[in-house]
Amino acid sequence: MRIPCPHCGLRGHEEFAYLGDATLRRPDPAAPDAERAFAEYAYRRDNPAGRHRELWYHAQGCGTWLVVERDTLTHEIGRVTEAREQGGS
Amino acid sequence: MSEGSNSVLIPGRTGRADGRAGLLVRECQGLALASLVARRGRVREAAEAARAAFGVALPLVARAAGNERVTFVWAGPGQWLVETSDARGDIEAFLAPALGSLAAICDQSDSRVVIELAGTAVRDVLAKGVPIDLHPRAFGVGDVALTAAHHVGLHLRQVSEEPRYRISVVRSYFGSFRHWLESSAAEFGCEVLAPLGAG
Repeated sequence: MRIPCPHCGLRGHEEFAYLGDATLRRPDPAAPDAERAFAEYAYRRDNPAGRHRELWYHAQGCGTWLVVERDTLTHEIGRVTEAREQGGS
Repeated sequence: MSEGSNSVLIPGRTGRADGRAGLLVRECQGLALASLVARRGRVREAAEAARAAFGVALPLVARAAGNERVTFVWAGPGQWLVETSDARGDIEAFLAPALGSLAAICDQSDSRVVIELAGTAVRDVLAKGVPIDLHPRAFGVGDVALTAAHHVGLHLRQVSEEPRYRISVVRSYFGSFRHWLESSAAEFGCEVLAPLGAG
């Protein structure tokens, strides 16, 4: 599996570290349901079959956090963007 | 480590003993190195400030740009490794007047081992571990890559057409990298030459 880094070009996945779901947002710790929301956020992860948006870190390359669209069934890579462009936490 | 110097490579031949060695290795000593990281949103200003002060703009893609005084090697977006033989021991002061307000500057002179690789088999040797394409149509003089070989991170660039490559490796990983390099070059013969810029 190769990931097109916007800065370095096409690189093997072994240069990257995988974090996981890029769609999650850290809950508000001051909200009344914070405990339940954090349990969901930390432990109850989906395991989708198909297209997924994931965070990958180019650890042995340029050190950029990327949001990678990947098909978990075929490993087909779609759009790759810099995580810093997404904002959020 | 040898002869009381801080050399990490001992000149001599390893691997295949007959004929001309396919890989020529030399350490670049006496370089001053610094990391330069532009503050958020100040990348273009920093690039211009470098051009005004040193006559070289900071490269904004994976390239190296330099002159006889200083070379700026791209090291990720908004980051560079600065190389000079002019300012050993004082590279922060060398860069700060032009760039101190636009970027974080940190002396890296002793943190990396810098070597140059050449020889007729240099691409064949590197191809055993470096996962990127170094064919001339894909990688040429001035091109820079951050990658890895043998699980060791490399900052690699091509410095001349022969081809000749300059590689910087974090010093504490260099022993492991050297082991990989000498093993990979053994079938071609590996000649370690006297260091560049020693003394």
